[in-house]
Amino acid sequence: MSVQPFTAQDLFEWLVSKETFLLLDVRNDEEFGRFKVEGPYPFEMINVPYMEFIEHEEESVAKVPKGKKLRIVCAKEGSSKYVGEILVNHGHTDVAHMLVGIKDWGNLLAPVRVAAGDDYELYQFRRPGKASCSYGLLCNKEMMLFDPAKNIAAYQAFADEKGCTVTRTFETHRQADYISGSPMLQQALGTEILVPAADFQGAAFDYTPVNDNDRFNFTHGGPTVKVMHTPGHTPGSTSYLIDDKFIVAGDMIFIFSMGRPDLGGMAKAWSRMLFQTMTEKILALDDSMLVLPGHYMDWKEANQDLVFTETLGKIKEINAAIYGITDESVFYDFIQSNMRPQPEEYAKIREINAGLVQVDAEEADIMDLGKNECAASMHA
Amino acid sequence: MSDDIKVDKSLDLKGLACPMPVVKVSKGIKEVEIGQVIEAITTDPGSLTDFPAWARTSGNEILKSEQDDNEIRFYIERKI
Repeated sequence: MSVQPFTAQDLFEWLVSKETFLLLDVRNDEEFGRFKVEGPYPFEMINVPYMEFIEHEEESVAKVPKGKKLRIVCAKEGSSKYVGEILVNHGHTDVAHMLVGIKDWGNLLAPVRVAAGDDYELYQFRRPGKASCSYGLLCNKEMMLFDPAKNIAAYQAFADEKGCTVTRTFETHRQADYISGSPMLQQALGTEILVPAADFQGAAFDYTPVNDNDRFNFTHGGPTVKVMHTPGHTPGSTSYLIDDKFIVAGDMIFIFSMGRPDLGGMAKAWSRMLFQTMTEKILALDDSMLVLPGHYMDWKEANQDLVFTETLGKIKEINAAIYGITDESVFYDFIQSNMRPQPEEYAKIREINAGLVQVDAEEADIMDLGKNECAASMHA
Repeated sequence: MSDDIKVDKSLDLKGLACPMPVVKVSKGIKEVEIGQVIEAITTDPGSLTDFPAWARTSGNEILKSEQDDNEIRFYIERKI
């Protein structure tokens, strides 16, 4: 009996298919407390740090229930294998450890189809380790991406499978919580990067600025992408309307909240922008518009197909505490009462996302790991 | 080398990946007397949180840690 390997992709498939197993996370308690595996359905998970197995082997082994399928994760693969071997020696028979380590879970993208028309398909790339979503719009041989993450190999493999090429990447805003894949895709494939210039002044890569009401099309047919400037989360924050049926909302609209306007250190000014965007632009949209958010806070936000999307009408109901505010100062009070610190790496991620700072792959993985902190409230 | 701490044993753990730095520091601390100090030099960024976690688990004390661009040095007193 030996310790078998599994991948982050395997783990995701077990989680969505309600497979029965015990996830044993052997990272230290601080790392575990900061970031842990989440899935759409309840599953069994325990944290017994690997250093406890080293110091107190018998007691640590006793913390792991017998007769379970054990799936072990750690930071970088080595410790999960080490602990797996100890558990096999103590009589566990179904033991596997995750290859690469938790960063592969952090980088995993899980595409799911949101909609399809005669000549297009729209996919949501869920990133369960970040609780974020990017989007792919495909028509004939072209794929446009919205807010791609840095795991560009996953988008490229997806495009290959679909017989497509990534032609354009749109950014809704300059992200602070994860490293954008747009500059890497541009380097690899020469894709056009389209961004709101207000967020990308001085960026060290070539980009096409987008402006309110600009329209973008595929070479032949397919839906139209219309630009709507929706400032507040950042001054440049922009949403993209796809055929006026879907809104790729970035961090403007979340299913259970709204993007926080205090990440730039100008909470009052940006709250005012956000309030204006909410009252003048978002509330003016049709309630049947399907919102495609840039983040979620909880898997509960996913629908029965595990897609993170909801009609704007329903989102206004869920978040009545926010959308019902009609006074700017009350809105600012709400923002202030929900303000909390932002992770310290956000400042550097902003620099990276403008191409102003380069980091190696390992540092990028470390900075990019962890759930987003982008919502204005933990739950509206 | 830290000026104000007398080191009784030094462990070169550079280049080792998890779990080996902790495995070796766990073994190495048992090779000095209680009250003596070992210096452990690692290059694994994971040791920044793993060593304090190990110290809590094992009951030993990290007197000091230093980090520069290339390596991390821990000064650990054997307590038990």
